[in-house]
Amino acid sequence: MTPAAWGVAYLAVVGLCLWSLMGSGELSLGRTPWQNLMATVGDFSRPSFLDAWWGPQRLEYRSDDGTVLRVENRQVLEREFLWAVLRATWVTFQIATLGSLLAALLALPLGLFTARNLPAPRWLSRAAHGLLGASRAIHTLVFGLILVGIVGLGPTAGILAIAMHSMGTYGKLFAESIETLDMAAVEGVRATGASSAHAFFMAVWPSVLPQFASQHLYVWEFNVRDSTILGLIGAGGLGLLISEAVSLFQWSRLATLLIVVVALVMCFDAVSSRVRKALL
Amino acid sequence: MSAPLVSALTDPAVELRDVTVAHGQSIVLQVKHLRIERGERVVLVGPNGAGKSTLFRILSGQLCPADGTVQVLGHERRFSSPSGTKNSRPRYDHRVGIISQGLHLVPRLDALSNTLIGGLARADVAAWRSWLKWFPSGLIDEAMDALAQVGMQDHATTRADHLSGGERQRVAMARLIMQKPELILADEPTAALDPAATARAVSLLNRLARGATLLTIVHEMTLVGELGDRVIGIRQGQIALDTPSGQLGADAMEALFRAPAPGKEPDEPSMGALSEQWV
Repeated sequence: MTPAAWGVAYLAVVGLCLWSLMGSGELSLGRTPWQNLMATVGDFSRPSFLDAWWGPQRLEYRSDDGTVLRVENRQVLEREFLWAVLRATWVTFQIATLGSLLAALLALPLGLFTARNLPAPRWLSRAAHGLLGASRAIHTLVFGLILVGIVGLGPTAGILAIAMHSMGTYGKLFAESIETLDMAAVEGVRATGASSAHAFFMAVWPSVLPQFASQHLYVWEFNVRDSTILGLIGAGGLGLLISEAVSLFQWSRLATLLIVVVALVMCFDAVSSRVRKALL
Repeated sequence: MSAPLVSALTDPAVELRDVTVAHGQSIVLQVKHLRIERGERVVLVGPNGAGKSTLFRILSGQLCPADGTVQVLGHERRFSSPSGTKNSRPRYDHRVGIISQGLHLVPRLDALSNTLIGGLARADVAAWRSWLKWFPSGLIDEAMDALAQVGMQDHATTRADHLSGGERQRVAMARLIMQKPELILADEPTAALDPAATARAVSLLNRLARGATLLTIVHEMTLVGELGDRVIGIRQGQIALDTPSGQLGADAMEALFRAPAPGKEPDEPSMGALSEQWV
């Protein structure tokens, strides 16, 4: 097929998706999208963390006949919530960091086996390729659901879920950077009579290490983002608070949580892109 | 691996008999008999794609001929058609040294490490030392000395990809000094160099060639006499010319480079097709 024919085929697929969705009447924004949007924006416009400093110190909840049901010190409550958010952020970061490292370590031999320019036996490279493919195909959340059943609720399940899924990503990235390696340098070392182990450590490894480090930072950053939702399935971290806030309709707390997620990811991104630049 | 001392004194550096290299249907190189004595300085000339580099790749062990007998520094290998290409690559020997245009240095390693590499096989350094980049201090001193010999001692800690073409070539020479090869295969060693750097490379190569056998591929005819006492011309995969360099006539050179009859030029296999794997 020519490139143009592929383009036409792509448009046909998009058309089919649109047509079938519209045909079944499922492509709709609901009955009152505009009001809903405004209501949501209103809910989000006052993130709960503001209450920690400027909230009412004595908020009374009364029943219809005027009886006081409950009195809250919003400042104290929201300060406690902020501490909880901080602890959860740390857990999320722990999950992402340890999960990524475990994934990279697991993927390293698999990447070496699958790289076509390294002399791994055929059966081994096939097996590694299949393993990496399966690991990429299954989403972190799915791994998480399975692992929660095995190791129980908590960050361990999160770490393992991240490791299982990211292993596939790392393996593919590692293999690709080895495959694009300039073999002249490797041949040059071999040509001095040095063994393939020497060639690996002196030529292959120093050439791919900066790329590996850069890819590690990239996937790590991705996993910081990914691990914020792992809590939804009970694997600990910010996701747990997000799921709580959603189920209790505490939109102002959800707003606080989203601000923290965005800040965390942006900070990590800023640091990692600086480090990546320094490495290359 | 090393040949007995007696034969080392009498054997030629290189001897090829009935060697054929084929790529698909076309014959890339065919050598009935070629003998190069120890200590000789030989220059290989010929048009692009004639088979000069293929000959080098046979001698270095990177390429196995389909047929024939190859003897390098007393180490003989026989090849025959059915199993020819499947024959596993022999272990490279530090006694055969290769130098091209300095493009085979490891870009991210500094000049000193790149030089050190030359001594790994000769000094039989353990692989874990390469892993930890922790080498015997004697070897490091030797590498510094080799760098000093090529005038690169001030660039010891400069990464190879930050060096100029001429500087890279000098580091490649330093690596060769470390390696102490008995047979040097120099593939267009001056191709990317300016006249001053060329002169320097030629004198370094000649210094290295003392006590060793030097084979050089060159395209600049002015260098033929400087780098060799004997000239071998290769044309369309055949040895077309073999004379002392003093007796090389202009008409012989002209015949060597004359355009071949259409459709008869053999294809030289690309580097990629033959060296996807390192073993």
